[in-house]
Amino acid sequence: MIELRNVGLKYGDKEILKNVSLTVRDNTIKAILGPSGVGKSTILKLMLGLIKPNKGQVIVDGTDITNMKEASLYSIRRKMGMVFQGNALFDSLTISQNLGFFLRENMKLPEEEIERRVEEQIQFAGLEGYEDQLPESLSGGMRRRVAIGRALIFKPHMILFDEPTAGLDPVSSKKILSLISSLRHNNNLGAVIVTHIIDDVFNVADCVAVLYQGEIIFDDVTEKLHNAQHPFIRSILSDKILEL
Amino acid sequence: MLLTFVRNREKAIALWLKDFILTMQEFFLFSVRTFISFPKVKRYWRDVLDQATICGTDSIPIVLVSAISIGSLLAIEVGNLLEDFGAKTMLGRSTSLSVIRELGPLLMGLMLSARFGSRNGAELGAMQISEQIDALRAFGTDPVAKLVMPRLVAALIMFLPLTALSDYAGLQSAAYMAEHYHRLDPGIFWNAVYPRLAPKDFVVGFLKAPVFAIIITLVSSFNGFSARGGTAGVGRSTIKGIVVSSGLVLIANFYVSKIVLENM
Repeated sequence: MIELRNVGLKYGDKEILKNVSLTVRDNTIKAILGPSGVGKSTILKLMLGLIKPNKGQVIVDGTDITNMKEASLYSIRRKMGMVFQGNALFDSLTISQNLGFFLRENMKLPEEEIERRVEEQIQFAGLEGYEDQLPESLSGGMRRRVAIGRALIFKPHMILFDEPTAGLDPVSSKKILSLISSLRHNNNLGAVIVTHIIDDVFNVADCVAVLYQGEIIFDDVTEKLHNAQHPFIRSILSDKILEL
Repeated sequence: MLLTFVRNREKAIALWLKDFILTMQEFFLFSVRTFISFPKVKRYWRDVLDQATICGTDSIPIVLVSAISIGSLLAIEVGNLLEDFGAKTMLGRSTSLSVIRELGPLLMGLMLSARFGSRNGAELGAMQISEQIDALRAFGTDPVAKLVMPRLVAALIMFLPLTALSDYAGLQSAAYMAEHYHRLDPGIFWNAVYPRLAPKDFVVGFLKAPVFAIIITLVSSFNGFSARGGTAGVGRSTIKGIVVSSGLVLIANFYVSKIVLENM
């Protein structure tokens, strides 16, 4: 379980997050919805301890990671997988090497086990035949699936997605969303999805938090979003896709 | 109006100063983290070997070109000057001191600042912009231990033989010019080199190699890690890395010479 308690964050004079409180329970898919540049990705980075809040607490599985040192955070981070918006694949490594990179780096597993897990992710992501290709030779959707495979290969409890369908064509988006849905059913995984696309929320999320002007203006099960009265939520429900 | 202008300038200077101090603090912590991660060198030995090839073997051509050029020019110019005083036999002595103490290590440092430093800045900057460094941290790998420490270890190892190579090539080219341009007998040239070189001349020259290795690697890597603002940001951080490390190499060159020569 990941918890944000009254988190505030400033970059210089600009207040990015104001008193944000959120809970992400295990085995649920929670979406964080909001317009671009509002601090959604920042929330994911806070959950991983990549950045520190100016106030409030970030709690992962009962451990307060707010002021934890970088070295102590590594073990916490390995409980979570992260899929970055730009995928953040290592461009000089092949798909197989990208998938196995962190297993070789951080886990003392025998090489056979690493290869077995890489193979498993290649099959799960439908990337058979692309094992020895570099990321640059794959399409956007394929790269996203490699990034998801790389996050899953650790067998994390929770997976964090930063705009998982942004920049993808409708077919690739659909594939990514069904891949995310299958995670909970097949792997019992929890997930946090940061997105500005409301259709993604209704397609995969159990619950949703709406971030607007640095504050959470809605936090409940997805179905109740239709009943929300906040003008911003009404406007996104009518427009469906948020203005970029 | 003048008062507003002065106040605005004051504010700008205060902001610049605050930014500068914060950057220095970050650079200091970054350097400490790099040195603290030295015990992980065994784990990252493959990365050290890769970086040793990049900053060592691959840098040999540029180091040779610069050393040969400066050795030849030095022999021609100093030889002309000494000829006026009828002291051409001192050519070996003067060129060897200049090459071994100063110009060999300095030129190598500047060339590596441009070659190795720019590569570090651009590569790490691109990784920073594309969130690859965040990905390393997110999945539990220390990016400083994985990316910076191997670069520093490789530079510390490889800059010494490169300095020796730079000195050797500089002296050989000077000897060649002494013989073929100034018609000086090679025996006279080398006789003025070897017996007269003192240990402190080598200490001055070779002590600069690790100092330059630390400056170039840490400054260029720090700038790469600090890259912001897309591809233009990578360009800016790379240039900043080269300019700052080259400047620091020149300053360090002066102080290492001064300190060693005054104390030995």
